Amino acid sequence: MSASTMTLQEKLHLDFGLFEQQLNGQSKSSVHQIRKAAMERFAVLGFPTIRHEEWKYTNIMPIVAHEFHALPTATHITATDVDSFRISGFSGSLVVVENGLFRADLSIIHPQEGVEVLSFADAIAKQHSALEHFSAHAKFDHEALLALNTAFARDGVVVQVARNVSAEQPIHVMYINDARAQNVMSNPRALVVVNESAQVTVIETFHTIGTERSWFNLGFEAVVAPNAVLSHDRLQDDKAQTTITTSTSVAQDRDSKYHSVCVALQGGLVRNNLSSALKGKGGHADFIGLYMPTGKTLIDNHTVVDHAVAHCTSNELYKGILDERGTGVFNGKIFVRKDAQKTQAYQSNRNILLSNTATINTKPQLEIFADDVKCSHGATSGQLDETSLFYLRARGIGKEKARALLLYAFAEEIVQQCANAALQAHIEHRVAELLHQEQELLTDSDND
Amino acid sequence: MLTINNLQASVEGKEILKGISLDIKAGEVHAIMGPNGSGKSTLASILAGREDYEITGGSVEFQGKDLLEMAPEERANEGVFLAFQYPVEIPGVSNTNFLRAAVNEKRKYQGLEPLESKDFLKMMRERMKIVEMDQAMVSRSVNEGFSGGEKKRNEIFQMAMLEPSLAVLDETDSGLDIDALKIVANGVNQLRSPERSFVVITHYQRLLDHIVPDYVHVLYKGRIVKSGGKELALELEEKGYDWVKELDVEEVA
Repeated sequence: MSASTMTLQEKLHLDFGLFEQQLNGQSKSSVHQIRKAAMERFAVLGFPTIRHEEWKYTNIMPIVAHEFHALPTATHITATDVDSFRISGFSGSLVVVENGLFRADLSIIHPQEGVEVLSFADAIAKQHSALEHFSAHAKFDHEALLALNTAFARDGVVVQVARNVSAEQPIHVMYINDARAQNVMSNPRALVVVNESAQVTVIETFHTIGTERSWFNLGFEAVVAPNAVLSHDRLQDDKAQTTITTSTSVAQDRDSKYHSVCVALQGGLVRNNLSSALKGKGGHADFIGLYMPTGKTLIDNHTVVDHAVAHCTSNELYKGILDERGTGVFNGKIFVRKDAQKTQAYQSNRNILLSNTATINTKPQLEIFADDVKCSHGATSGQLDETSLFYLRARGIGKEKARALLLYAFAEEIVQQCANAALQAHIEHRVAELLHQEQELLTDSDND
Repeated sequence: MLTINNLQASVEGKEILKGISLDIKAGEVHAIMGPNGSGKSTLASILAGREDYEITGGSVEFQGKDLLEMAPEERANEGVFLAFQYPVEIPGVSNTNFLRAAVNEKRKYQGLEPLESKDFLKMMRERMKIVEMDQAMVSRSVNEGFSGGEKKRNEIFQMAMLEPSLAVLDETDSGLDIDALKIVANGVNQLRSPERSFVVITHYQRLLDHIVPDYVHVLYKGRIVKSGGKELALELEEKGYDWVKELDVEEVA
């Protein structure tokens, strides 16, 4: 069979074989047994088509039709490349993951007692204790892309914060694909373990170098132990030839808090699967999201909040501003299990469509099996509020500027919930740029 | 300053204003009173340029220019200010930035450079006192989470910043307790000047104890059915709006 007639799925099988040949002693490791099982599962599931209920509005077949290299090396990017992607004003730790592989030489990790940041490959080599969680929460049985990520989880990052330790520095994980020479698919794996009463902030951004196709297929798995806090900011703002698919699986124990802010601005196709399982009483999850597709960009957020036990709360707010031929998909599932009494779960999805050719498909999906709960959901899509627009114009602000200001304000409700201030400022700047807004209006520096 | 001549307007084919004429000179305060649905707020919205209404007849001249031809932002920059009955909340935009944008748009319109930041802030601090705004309120997003009274105070504060020639106050007193009403009225009184005219639209006579008008007009079913001096407000208070309805019947008969 020649490469040109091979499907991507077939090629991935060959690549997986090559990957296994490189493993030497590690092929017997428990991590690799999971990878093998995942590959077998992926073989059964295949890439999801639009006939799959969860992929009805997001067609990845045109992307799958291309050839991708799934075992790229990571030796090409330089410190200068990394500098161009830095968040201005950010002073925390930096983890660089090139083509799915951890680049220790480009990463800057501020040491702190009780805060471990290491490569996923190192963790495997050292049989790190955090790996007991690998694939324990991120279940790939029905998730083809998570299965694929798990199978190709060569490397990535592991963060573990010890009991009672609050990580002083946020950790910025920068995923970079080098698509200068060939189409690249990376399968980075992130594993974050926040132990009892510990606290950490993780930021993720995605960047492609070069003009060939780039596919990030991320698997992010997190465990938030009792009374622990994980703040998770994610920015997806890459090129038109980029595909980003992410599978985020969070397991929350009692009194834990998971705060997710997911902002997707530009790119070809973005699909985020985000789920948190509230498994201990008193847990709280925030799912906050913003998407602003323009051009032909498609941004799809599928979220699941699983209230498994009583007395947990969740708050979900996703907002979209859709222009040109941009498409948004929002699917928000909330499960409230039989034992999850006194649950409070709120969900809202609000959209503004700026053109006749922009599309939003939104579907709230609440499945409630307990009887003493407070749950609400709502979805809106429409144009800018005329009354607000008139209010600004009546103050002398021209129509275009008034529109931009209102859209900025609409987005800002999300952006201001970022855990990290430097990232927040960066996103505010980008949102203003995309709305052709003057930055001067947005600075609050004079208010002191 | 403002000449309204036989203004007629409708919304979705329903006639709301049936020929209103008013002549307002510089420095005058005109109160427009009337029961619910008489067309008071429609008049205010039309003066500010809201596009939901169809002007079916008449004219409005403001400082010698055809007001109805202008976009809302043009009117504002020419010196028309509407204090909204229901001020809009704009999450994410601080009052400071909102006002800076508005003040500088007006300056641009007048061919002036934007205000230096420190001059703007100095001006803001001065004007805040007029309606007892504090720094915390000014730093917050425009009207977000403000009480009814705070929103109305913010409207008057914006007016103080934008220094209009004509201010239209659309039910600025509605829903205010007496303390909030006094702050708002006191703010308006400080802004009265021989060069500035006011149209004070209200349902209740009480406001006019605090902002004393030069003229009072009674609007009913889209027409001014009676005009007079400030004593008309008291008469109206005494006799109630039913009296106005009788006036209307007489006129029609």
